[in-house]
Amino acid sequence: MADSTEKFTFQFDGQVVEARAGDTVASALYRAGRRIFTRSFKYHRPRGLLCMAGKCPNCMMNVDGTPNVRACITPARAGMRVEHQNAYPSLDHDLLAAVQRFDWLMPVGWYYKTMTHEWSWHAAEPYIRKVAGLGVAPEAGGGSTDYEHAWMHAEVAVIGGGPAGLQAALELAQSGAQVTLVDDQPELGGHLRYRKQAGKVPAELIAQLRALSGVEIISRAYCFGLYEGNQLGVLQATPHAGAIERLIHLRAKRVVVATGAYEVPFTFENNDLPGVMLSTAVQRLIHLHGIKPGNRAVIVASVAQGDDVAVDLRDSGVEVVAKLAPHEVISGVGSSHITAVRAKDGEIACDLLVLCGQRVPDAGLLNQAGGKLAWNEERGAFLPVDLPANVSAVGEVTGAWMARATPHPPENIPYHKRAFVCLCSDVSTADLRDGISEGFDHIETLKRYTTLTMGPCQGRMCQLAGIGVCAHETGRSMGETGVTTSRPPNPSVSLGALAGPRHHPTRRTPMHYAHDESGAVWLDMGEWKRPRYYKTASCPDERACVDEEYRAVRERAGLIDVSTLGKLDVKGRDAGKLLDKVYTNRFSDLKPGRVRYSVLCDEAGIMLDDGTISRLAEDHYFITTTTGNLDFVQQWLEWWLVGTGWDVHITNLTGGRAAVNLAGPQARDVLQTLTACDLTTKAFPYMACREAEVAEVPALLMRIGFVGETGWEIHFPAEYGEYLWNKLLEAGKTSGIRPFGIEAQRLLRLEKRHVIVGVDTDALSNPYESGMAWVAKLDKADFIGRNALSRLSEAAPQQSLVGFVMNDDALPQDGAAILVDGALAGRVTSARYSPKNGKAVGLAWVVAKSAAIGMEIQIRVNGSTARARIVEEAFYDPAGERLRM
Amino acid sequence: MSFLIPCPHCGNRSVYEFRFGGEVKTRPQPEAPTEEWMEYTYTKANESGVQKEWWFHRSGCRQWLQASRNTTTNEVLEAFFPE
Repeated sequence: MADSTEKFTFQFDGQVVEARAGDTVASALYRAGRRIFTRSFKYHRPRGLLCMAGKCPNCMMNVDGTPNVRACITPARAGMRVEHQNAYPSLDHDLLAAVQRFDWLMPVGWYYKTMTHEWSWHAAEPYIRKVAGLGVAPEAGGGSTDYEHAWMHAEVAVIGGGPAGLQAALELAQSGAQVTLVDDQPELGGHLRYRKQAGKVPAELIAQLRALSGVEIISRAYCFGLYEGNQLGVLQATPHAGAIERLIHLRAKRVVVATGAYEVPFTFENNDLPGVMLSTAVQRLIHLHGIKPGNRAVIVASVAQGDDVAVDLRDSGVEVVAKLAPHEVISGVGSSHITAVRAKDGEIACDLLVLCGQRVPDAGLLNQAGGKLAWNEERGAFLPVDLPANVSAVGEVTGAWMARATPHPPENIPYHKRAFVCLCSDVSTADLRDGISEGFDHIETLKRYTTLTMGPCQGRMCQLAGIGVCAHETGRSMGETGVTTSRPPNPSVSLGALAGPRHHPTRRTPMHYAHDESGAVWLDMGEWKRPRYYKTASCPDERACVDEEYRAVRERAGLIDVSTLGKLDVKGRDAGKLLDKVYTNRFSDLKPGRVRYSVLCDEAGIMLDDGTISRLAEDHYFITTTTGNLDFVQQWLEWWLVGTGWDVHITNLTGGRAAVNLAGPQARDVLQTLTACDLTTKAFPYMACREAEVAEVPALLMRIGFVGETGWEIHFPAEYGEYLWNKLLEAGKTSGIRPFGIEAQRLLRLEKRHVIVGVDTDALSNPYESGMAWVAKLDKADFIGRNALSRLSEAAPQQSLVGFVMNDDALPQDGAAILVDGALAGRVTSARYSPKNGKAVGLAWVVAKSAAIGMEIQIRVNGSTARARIVEEAFYDPAGERLRM
Repeated sequence: MSFLIPCPHCGNRSVYEFRFGGEVKTRPQPEAPTEEWMEYTYTKANESGVQKEWWFHRSGCRQWLQASRNTTTNEVLEAFFPE
């Protein structure tokens, strides 16, 4: 019960509302006098509290920016900001309520009947968008981020902390099982907390349960899904002050469902007026929140029901003026709140109409688990049967203690446009009858046509009544009519909770902060941060910076951080054999101290990755992979190793090694000042590798040339990353060395026509069409993709990856379309302005017949076409002399 | 999809810890006819029932294993490291 001593305030539509400890948002607002809590979806009719249990759509509000929050089950917190939704300007005066005067214009299936031409939808859409929908999604980044995820395991999960769930949990725990009890209320006890005549909350049993080890109790948490393998989705509200919701992934060997039952309303004209309330909602207001729900109450109940709530009402000071049987009620009277009820014997003034409705088993989870729901005439309910192994049900969800409130299907249905079955989307008995008469007489098609059971309450309030109307109209029984399927999440879950805390892992290279100090502008590459370019005082914009970096490499010396390359150490007697099998190039005959380039293909001959492989010793190789493909390449190598019995050990050194590429005509001079290793071409030729100390740091030096200049890729322990980076820059100071970023590197390699696998190639590219036929050694007895590649080597290419030079100043974007004689003939993969050529150059896929050297192609640039010419050789140093200098 | 795979090294683990590696197939001999290679490269049995599959325990022991899975119920009958 709401503790009357501790009080605090929150805001509703800018007004201060007082709340007591234990209040929900709705109970505090009701105590403060609010009766209209929302406006209905279609007709904007006023709606008030109906279920007080989170089972109906009547109190959805915006709480702290999150739309469609059910106010009746959301704990009130000091300082929270609550706003109404789906009404303009306010809940009490909603201009859109005028819509209901035109309800005759909106028959069931309105969209299908009205939007019969494409133009009619386009004409109506802007207006419909403005008024349709519930709530307003927060702006990107505007919602709360205080969501968290947790993973839990249980031997047995018991869902529901009512008398049946408590009893089951205690018995299981006493028999030695490890039990997790999930309950959606702040306190255990289920309906006994507010249905006082049903019995007392078993305090002793709860104390016993709490004292047992191996019992975990999760309160204020509802289970929204029972998935494959007994995986439960559980959403816990305010697990602690720092989080609004926690999504628990609970895996249980066995699940006991004790979700109980809920009450549903009767169908009559104006049954949706504020002041019409379910008996359990009234009892919750009285016993859980200490609220007197009204002054003059009329109770609607079948025989033998309604006496309990009458006692509760009188005890709380409400005058009970009449008790009616369901068939005696004709309509509710009132415009914004109920003022009277019209019965067969005349009108009775009241401000509270209490419905003792049919109880419906809350069997959604059992249905999701694969259980069926079968009609039980005696109970007047669909009860779970045929439960799968390891899922069981106890308590009222099985139909125990349940009594039929009214006959089903109903003998008389009050067909009226204002007798609502579905409160979520204003579907009335008349709408259902119209839908059935139009041929949608199966419960599943009726559901889709009328949107019955498809609103936020997911059919809780309307399913039974809807089936009743369908059965009555079609002359079928309830069992023959059947139920619609429950699918998770049920009840709904906020997208924020599903998204979770949004942790994005970030990887920084060992030289990260040195780059920061040099003015790095960052680029995200997967998890890695890499400098795109370095902003310096001397260059005003990106293009000028990249140009400076480019010139440093071509004319003097440049240094780039390539620590993000995947690095695999491959050791063992059979290492060469594995590499020969997996890579297209040959490695078993590579001499120690030499480096070779290769691509990696799948069995279809598609290029998956590329990199260099250095042979450090007879039984020792060092592989580099592209930044994003490390995991894949390692798994690929290990996969082909499975079952071979070969002696090969693969170690991932990516995080443990830093790597830089020092390149440029003066690279040798710079590096030679720091190492005793002889760097002359005679001692250290192109495509050689040596292990040596650089500035006393043990390093692997590889003389390779991605950017087209004399250069060394240096791999060394990550601990020395920043030290050696700075040391190299210092040593190159007199030579005019510059650090360079990804953008300059891409331009430098493009001038050399070096392909980047995954940028210039895709999931259809093979080495032959990519102009890299030399990399496939078909004379090897076997390797992955050999069969496909030998076929491709003889086949005429469909398309070719070619280099092109623009005829004029135009610069195409990556991905630009290529036209030949006005027809689409390919696409650009990379294009950059080449300082060497004075024009843009690039790589492009072009259909084979138009890909001949010297042919002219047209490229779409900024909405017009520019001309370009296909060239054979690299745009820069085609003979590769500079690499070998 | 939320079934468990009994990893022979780590025990029962959520399928989300694993990477799927496709059906277990026998790779043809290098000199096998093209038809056999085409069948191996492009055709999948896609069994409705129990089939043998490759799985890689990415968030665990990082080893490749084979599992027999019923594709209609997602029940994993056994999982083992191939010899």
